[in-house]
Amino acid sequence: MTSVDDSPELPPLPRDRMADFKEGVVPYLFVVPGLLLVFGILGYAVVGGAILSLNETDMFLNKTFVGLKNYRDVFSDPRFINALWRTLLFVVVSIALGIGMSMIFALTLYRVTRGKRFFRGLSLVPYFVSGVATAVMFRFIFTTSGGFANSVLSALGLPTPSWLGDPALAFMVAVLANCWFMVPFATLILLGGLQTIDREIYDSASIDGASDFAVFRRITLPLIKPMMGVSLIWVTYISFSTFDIILALTAGGPQRATELLSIYMFETAFLELNFGAGSVLMMVLLAFNTALSVLYLKVFVMGDHRRKLEK
Amino acid sequence: MDAPFVALQDLRKSFGTTDVLHGINLEIPQHAFVVLVGPSGCGKSTLLRMIAGLEKIKHGRIVIDGEIVNRVHAKNRGIAMVFQNYALYPHMSVRENLAFSLEMLKTETSEVERRIKTAADILQLEQLLDRLPAQLSGGQRQRVAMGRALVREPKLFLFDEPLSNLDAKLRVEMRAEIRALHQRLESTTIYVTHDQVEAMTMSDIVVVMNAGRIEQSGPPLELYDRPATEFVAAFMGSPAMNLLRGRVVRADGAPAVDVGEGLFLPFDDRAGVREGMEVVYGLRPEHLAISPDPASGLIGEVALVEPAGWETHLHADIHGRRFRAISTERLDVTPGSRIALAPDPTRVHLFDGSSGARL
Ligand SMILES: Nc1ncnc2c1ncn2[C@@H]1O[C@H](COP(=O)(O)OP(=O)(O)OP(=O)(O)O)[C@@H](O)[C@H]1O
Ligand SMILES: [Mg+2]
Repeated sequence: MTSVDDSPELPPLPRDRMADFKEGVVPYLFVVPGLLLVFGILGYAVVGGAILSLNETDMFLNKTFVGLKNYRDVFSDPRFINALWRTLLFVVVSIALGIGMSMIFALTLYRVTRGKRFFRGLSLVPYFVSGVATAVMFRFIFTTSGGFANSVLSALGLPTPSWLGDPALAFMVAVLANCWFMVPFATLILLGGLQTIDREIYDSASIDGASDFAVFRRITLPLIKPMMGVSLIWVTYISFSTFDIILALTAGGPQRATELLSIYMFETAFLELNFGAGSVLMMVLLAFNTALSVLYLKVFVMGDHRRKLEK
Repeated sequence: MDAPFVALQDLRKSFGTTDVLHGINLEIPQHAFVVLVGPSGCGKSTLLRMIAGLEKIKHGRIVIDGEIVNRVHAKNRGIAMVFQNYALYPHMSVRENLAFSLEMLKTETSEVERRIKTAADILQLEQLLDRLPAQLSGGQRQRVAMGRALVREPKLFLFDEPLSNLDAKLRVEMRAEIRALHQRLESTTIYVTHDQVEAMTMSDIVVVMNAGRIEQSGPPLELYDRPATEFVAAFMGSPAMNLLRGRVVRADGAPAVDVGEGLFLPFDDRAGVREGMEVVYGLRPEHLAISPDPASGLIGEVALVEPAGWETHLHADIHGRRFRAISTERLDVTPGSRIALAPDPTRVHLFDGSSGARL
């Protein structure tokens, strides 16, 4: 080695190629297959759906390229407009009700000290009941004659409405069934957020004279913001794509009151075998989900105080 | 003496079936800086949280400034508390942290501004007001936590191990800063620590707790010089007092404690100590003089030398018993050296062998 520096130089350490490999390459070897699988399937579905939405398909699955014709057809179909508005209303009401209920349950579970595990386990049960079983259960509760709800109402001498026959009521029952399924998981996400908050902070707020409401609004909510974002993504995604429960509960009726985009998509693609139009609907749902997820991530996760620090 | 500013009367506390506090009685005069000290788990935090209003009181009474506060909410007790982990609101800037309690009390904006400015001046927080807690060093967070207590202008300051998360140097600095702050504001303070050095150096009154009871309370040097129990003797002072079990005898007419292995430790006669009593013999390391003259004391073999700068700590074995001694001279000894150690019989502490009470 020719060194112009006259100070004696330490010989460079021999490179430990094995260590370099272990640190630099091995982790990726583990991550990459998973990523490929996820993006492969997702990409295949999205790209496949996008292609399908630009083609007309006959019953032998022969494709003819038709450009944006499917989009024009779908967007001008009054049934689509109805399904779109129903879905947006369904999602908004589901989010409001679902997040509200999840928050209340999470705060309650947070305070439960005795039998903690039992209650937390129990609260997940609805999540594991299949969609059809959930629908059957809700039918059992809300059937007009002999249903549980009306038995109670008539015993109390109150009017007994036709829950699943009245468009507005059927819509609310569908929202409830949807919440039944998605609230448990959202609750656990929020509960996880609550548990990261140092109890001393609540003690401090108590001495500082904050009311329960002030503590919730000024301390709890801002501190669980990222978890709130995650559970919003979950609730939104489920509400846009909920399908089996509604199909078995109301099949989209009465008078298309519960005909959500997912139901409409199913009927278009698999009953009418119009895959082109079905794919258009899939793209619409995908666009909503992606846009809202990005929005939530930006507002709730990136906008969190922990992120602000990194600027 | 005037009526105490804070009085704790027969306070008890249990969590489920575990009794944590067994009847605490304590009176604290106004303006005093009181340090609660004791080993981990002895109930210091529980006691402080009861005074703060964070734990329910089911038995006993707490009086603050003449008012029984058992049923008074924490926010109305006129207290402020500094927590071990600071408990700053992580999503609020320093300014917002300081303002929070005042906002909750609906204080006028100009008054909020004034108080924040005063606190920031005292604690040198001006530069930090717009930062988030995560952007502060440990010492700065500590000061913000104190600032947050300060703006409330409380009657009573409560500190729960506020320095335990700081490094040694910063801890010494903050210790002095908290003391200086107390001298300036003269607000009555109860300060919890498990560090007896903090207790000694900071307090007007030390309260030593052990297993849910108060062992002794009083001015720090009084506890140091006349520990009421074997526990206090062992707990206060560093390096710790030498404590040896034995039996009172008369050796050549002079009173001594026979600690076995043929070792007799001398003490000055005192009332209430009779031959044959089982006792614990206590001697502070600084009262075990190291002499170069082998004829002048007990011969020991040096086991460990700890130079601490201006003084040297020695561990030496006498008749197989380990003793701690301190010398302010630079000693020319190494492990294995033989030295003479002379106990000062006038400075010996004796404790009852079974109850641990001072004799
Ligand atoms: N909420 C609680 N539930 C049950 N036991 C508790 C609770 N809080 C404290 N304890 C118990 O009470 C005892 C005293 O606790 P405390 O926190 O007062 O101790 P400490 O003296 O502050 O100790 P440290 O120096 O470790 O902080 C401990 O044995 C602890 O396990
Ligand atoms: Mg504690």
